[in-house]
Amino acid sequence: MPAFRNVSMCGKDCMCLYVCPTGATDTEDSIIDVNKCISGCSACAQACPSGAISIVPESYPPQQPKSPEVIATQRKLAYSKAQQWQAAEAIAATTDNPITKQFATAIAASNLRMAEDILRESGYMLPQSNEARKLLESLLEYEEPGFPKGAVDLLLKKL
Amino acid sequence: MKKYICTICGYVYDESSGAKWDELPNDYKCPICGAPKSAFKQVEESPAKTISSPLDTENHNGIDNFTTLTAGEISAICSSLAKGCDKQRLLPERDAFNKIAEYFKAKAKPENSKAFQDIKKMVDYDLEINFASATEKAKSNSDRGALRSLVWSEKASTMCRVLLDRFNKEGEGLLKNTKIYVCDICGFIYIGDTPPEICPVCKVPKSKILEVERG
Ligand code: SF4
Ligand code: SF4
Ligand SMILES: [Fe+2]
Repeated sequence: MPAFRNVSMCGKDCMCLYVCPTGATDTEDSIIDVNKCISGCSACAQACPSGAISIVPESYPPQQPKSPEVIATQRKLAYSKAQQWQAAEAIAATTDNPITKQFATAIAASNLRMAEDILRESGYMLPQSNEARKLLESLLEYEEPGFPKGAVDLLLKKL
Repeated sequence: MKKYICTICGYVYDESSGAKWDELPNDYKCPICGAPKSAFKQVEESPAKTISSPLDTENHNGIDNFTTLTAGEISAICSSLAKGCDKQRLLPERDAFNKIAEYFKAKAKPENSKAFQDIKKMVDYDLEINFASATEKAKSNSDRGALRSLVWSEKASTMCRVLLDRFNKEGEGLLKNTKIYVCDICGFIYIGDTPPEICPVCKVPKSKILEVERG
């Protein structure tokens, strides 16, 4: 499990530089070198006074199960939010008025964030979940020109 | 018993759970966003909940695949999973989900016409009907994760509704001399020159509250 530094939280106190047995934390671009990092070590994360380093897990437990009732009501809302997102995007794409466009873009962004969050809480929390896999598998049968099938293949292979 | 709504963030003060509005001190502030008492307005009693859905939502409770989900939903699922991959530092996977999200975003078309009033009808329906039924189910199933998402998005939706009304009345004046921000986590919209230190809805620090620029 490699260490990951959140650069925006790093106070440059440099404890991680002192404790790292391999020098993985000492890089010119502030990104911890995953090839040098020793799995299971976590010395830097424990030493960092700013809480800027976390250890990225290699596997995750199955996501929390969702009841079918909750899935149904969450989906209904997500569907509505996605429609509002799309309607607002359509306004933003067609108006000539810069303020209307700005306002529609904000409404669109707001509704997309809501749709994403509500959908996450309807069974799509983890990219590694069965639900995500089933959706990806169904997309294997999706035949449309321009569809990035390679992306689906990559995800089914790697996740 | 009356209710008063904060026109800044949509928080509702309900007299039935405390003092009468007029008896609250003049320096009463919105517990969510800190707006003064004068920023509240009375909520008109909404008519009985008989409004019908502006959308055909009946086909959307089935199994998930590209025939039962709309393009917009698939796009939102994939953009959200892309963020999940980003958090896990799975960067090729993140990019792959984003590609699928982009593809379906381009495919997505709104069902109805694309005017602010249509969005208003949908958010009205969400706030009158959809949130109540979803909240009930989340509670009866003790699903606190779902409940969290509902609490956040109900507040963000209330804000959307308030702003759609104001834009309808004030037009460009609403944004002419000020800025508009959207919380990248919960979707809360904030109008003002500088965003709050933390999002009043989801409490994320302001680095995640993003300005939507003009033009
Ligand atoms: S110990 Fe933490 S704060 Fe100090 S340099 Fe390393 S990551 Fe940054
Ligand atoms: S986990 Fe250990 S090896 Fe990896 S970067 Fe931190 S201190 Fe270095
Ligand atoms: Fe937020």
